[in-house]
Amino acid sequence: MKNNNNKVPKLAHLFFRWYCKKEMYEELHGDLEEFFYERVKDKGPFKARLLYIWDVIRCCQSYAVRKPKTQNTTIMMLNNYFKTSTRSLLKNPLTSFINIFGLAVAIGICLTVYAFMDFEYKIDQFHANKGQVYLTTFYTNRDGSIERYGMSPAPLGELLSTDFPQIQKVCRVEESNVVVKYEDEVFHETLTYVDPSFLEMFTFPLGKGVNKSLNDLNSIILSHDMAIKYFGDDNVLGKDLEVIFSDSNKKVFKVAGVAEPFPKPHDLGFNFLIHFDNLDYARPTNDLSNWDQFITATFIQVNDPNQIAGLEEGMEKYKLLQNEKNSDWAIESFSLEPFVTLYANSAEIRKAIVYNGSAEGRIALPIIAIFMLGLACFNYINISIVSAAKRLKEIGVRKVIGASKNKIAFQFLFENIFVTLFALVLGLLLAVFMFLPWFIGISERSMELNFFNPELWIFLSIVLVFTGVVSGLYPAFYISKFNVIRIFRGSVHFGKKNPLTKLFLGFQLIMASILMTGAVMLTQNSNFQAKRTWGYDPNNVLYVELPDSSAFNRLEAQLIQNTNVVSVAGAIHHLGNNHTTTVIHQPDRKYEVDRLSVGPKYFETMGLQLKAGRFFKDHSENDHAAIVVNELFVENLNLSQPIGHVFEIDSMRYEVVGVVENFHLYNFYYEVLPTIFSLAETTDYKFMAIEVKSGAQPITYATLKKDWAVLFPEIPFQGDFQTRLWDNFYKDLQTQKTFSTTIATIAILLASLGLYGLVMLNVSGRVREFSIRKVFGAETKNIIKSVTNQYVLLTVISMIIGAPISYVLNKALIGMMFPETMQADYFGAFIAVFIIVSVLLTVVSTQIFRVVKSNPVDGLKME
Amino acid sequence: MISKNLTAASTKPIILGILKQGNSYGYLIIKKIKELSGGKMKYSDGMLYPVLHRLEKEGLIISTWVMEDDSVRPRKYYEITEAGKKELIQEQAQWSEVNAVLNAIWTTQ
Repeated sequence: MKNNNNKVPKLAHLFFRWYCKKEMYEELHGDLEEFFYERVKDKGPFKARLLYIWDVIRCCQSYAVRKPKTQNTTIMMLNNYFKTSTRSLLKNPLTSFINIFGLAVAIGICLTVYAFMDFEYKIDQFHANKGQVYLTTFYTNRDGSIERYGMSPAPLGELLSTDFPQIQKVCRVEESNVVVKYEDEVFHETLTYVDPSFLEMFTFPLGKGVNKSLNDLNSIILSHDMAIKYFGDDNVLGKDLEVIFSDSNKKVFKVAGVAEPFPKPHDLGFNFLIHFDNLDYARPTNDLSNWDQFITATFIQVNDPNQIAGLEEGMEKYKLLQNEKNSDWAIESFSLEPFVTLYANSAEIRKAIVYNGSAEGRIALPIIAIFMLGLACFNYINISIVSAAKRLKEIGVRKVIGASKNKIAFQFLFENIFVTLFALVLGLLLAVFMFLPWFIGISERSMELNFFNPELWIFLSIVLVFTGVVSGLYPAFYISKFNVIRIFRGSVHFGKKNPLTKLFLGFQLIMASILMTGAVMLTQNSNFQAKRTWGYDPNNVLYVELPDSSAFNRLEAQLIQNTNVVSVAGAIHHLGNNHTTTVIHQPDRKYEVDRLSVGPKYFETMGLQLKAGRFFKDHSENDHAAIVVNELFVENLNLSQPIGHVFEIDSMRYEVVGVVENFHLYNFYYEVLPTIFSLAETTDYKFMAIEVKSGAQPITYATLKKDWAVLFPEIPFQGDFQTRLWDNFYKDLQTQKTFSTTIATIAILLASLGLYGLVMLNVSGRVREFSIRKVFGAETKNIIKSVTNQYVLLTVISMIIGAPISYVLNKALIGMMFPETMQADYFGAFIAVFIIVSVLLTVVSTQIFRVVKSNPVDGLKME
Repeated sequence: MISKNLTAASTKPIILGILKQGNSYGYLIIKKIKELSGGKMKYSDGMLYPVLHRLEKEGLIISTWVMEDDSVRPRKYYEITEAGKKELIQEQAQWSEVNAVLNAIWTTQ
């Protein structure tokens, strides 16, 4: 009996026979068989069969593979289209450049926006249990409006874990500012107190150490950045770090873990993690069973997300406990926010542990990207229609030799996708090397285009097909429907007066007008915001944070010897840095206001302006029951005689003794709110404000730092010029100007390119006409009129429609961004229209110049 | 193991050299090169056949189908032509020169 194992594998042999050239089959397979039989003897049948299969695969190369007898006609056709497209691109390099460059810029912007959105939607999504973790939030009525808060009553976490067996894990989180000391180095840091379940619920991987070390009250876990900052590397397990909670509370912790660097798209993070119970040590007066106390956050983890509705209902019972104890923060209801959506929704949750500062960007940027793609597509459609006039004969010949309407349409669509492919590659390069680095610079987000991510390739394919089809569909069908006889008779005149071409150009001009008006108005608004006053004088003020109760007196004693210091004041809160909110009780309503507790000299030192009454008196015991309010407070409560008016706050009665001009607690993105000042005890001061002589700020600041180092060698200096508190705000204003101007410039560039292409094609198609006009004595102004006629009317109509739309839209946008804006007028829109018209005139005049300077004889000869 | 680049560069003189010793076919040529190099030079089918066909096209070798007694199928035997022999002499001279240069460099080191 013949052994089948000693024969070459049948399937592999059949495959070889299928692909191998007939004339080579005998020779090649003969040798393969000889190798096979030799290997059967040397290595055994199994290995020989495997090696035979490998040989068959290896031989499948161009020299051995047979060519198909007849080529697929579709491939031939596509090959032909490819050739025609390449020739057409090379024949009209300028229009090709306009099309490709326009589309590339738009695609580059789309890719940049894609990178931004991809980054945004990945923020905090790397945690393995994200689908089971929820943040406890509550709704409360703040002076008539229901607000959602992300902080949590302190006792809530413990009660949840005991009352609800369906809750798998609970994690309380509290953050505070401390000083961290290692050897001689001291830094101000943010410390996070967490329950040991934190690292099980949030899967930040630890590079060194184990999650369980959080169970130890004396252990501390560092982020990768902190390990590098303090120790230079992450090999730090077992090292000691001293945490200074306050002047009297210090504790040494042993480093028990170091986290891996956090993934770039993250918002929830930490610098230092310690066990939550350390709060008892850090804040001995804190009572975590008191519903009056709030902590940063309480997270829960459940097995089954379907239990959430039941849990929320069950949490209703805590309302009574909370509201009995703290009626000022009466809770309407509790609610659980999925961690998956927490970042996206955090703009709607006040005091949430994570904060989404780019909620507007998520809406505005995709709209801008679609706008730009629209502009580029309109350009393409217009230029395709007009430039097809040059290819009439080609279309005619194709139709004569049997091409159907659909075939012609398909050919043009194919060409368009081919052009879009070019643009896609160029757009990708523009995005990677130009737009993305620029956008990362202004947005300070480390986003990237990950080419190993299949989602990116799916997005690119969608952009390719969408752009290719949207911009090519209309021209393809428009061009393909022409009658072949009319083409050869020369009676087809299309493109030049196509109403849709004008409509698209009109759209482009309106879009450019909206974006340009936006840029002008945002610039005007930025200048307006930059010139606004803060309601006090920050220019000559320095401030410094104080570490303990005796610090103010010690520093003040040092500073009053400095002749550059005009006045010194202490405060618990400081303008631009922090404040608290409190509830004012009136017989008929409760009213929430911002509150700052300050020393008596604070008003003069900060330059707050008194409108009525007086400031606090120095060493006045009575003034501990006095408040100074701002004008808005008086206005909102309709106080005709504010001085002497008495309010109840925290069960104590306070009398209004003074009214100050409205002032800004924070930057101009935030509206001025009703605010009160109360008198603070010297021992409670957390800040010192120092007014210095004009021009002496730098030298006093340097002296202050030196004095500080002598007085408080263990505590790092934390203070600055008051004006520097707004550096980020002014930087943001500058970014807005840069961003809007860049986008508007690109929009105008695209519209100008489109118009240039149209005018150029129009002029090229009318060379004979202009030559005849010139021969018959037409003057330059007649030629100009003839070229520009249709565009002038179109531009005027577009601007008449575009300018008011631009004005209304941009006014609404700026109104959304800033509570107080400049007195918007049409000036911004006029400037925008002027810029657009100037650019368009420049573009058109280059072509007019060409026509005017051309020799009519040449023009007549050419045609 | 001799590098692929060097193996590829020396294919022509080696094939011509082997065929000068006597007519041969693909399988035997691959085996012979393996034997002569002590397994340090490995030829794949993908390297050998395109070169054989090119040499035949250039007129340096010719092929004939031969039915041998020990085989159930004909084999395509290749034979070196006069032009092939001349080419081999030129190749030998060039490789000897390369060899001499390399020797000169290495002996002075």
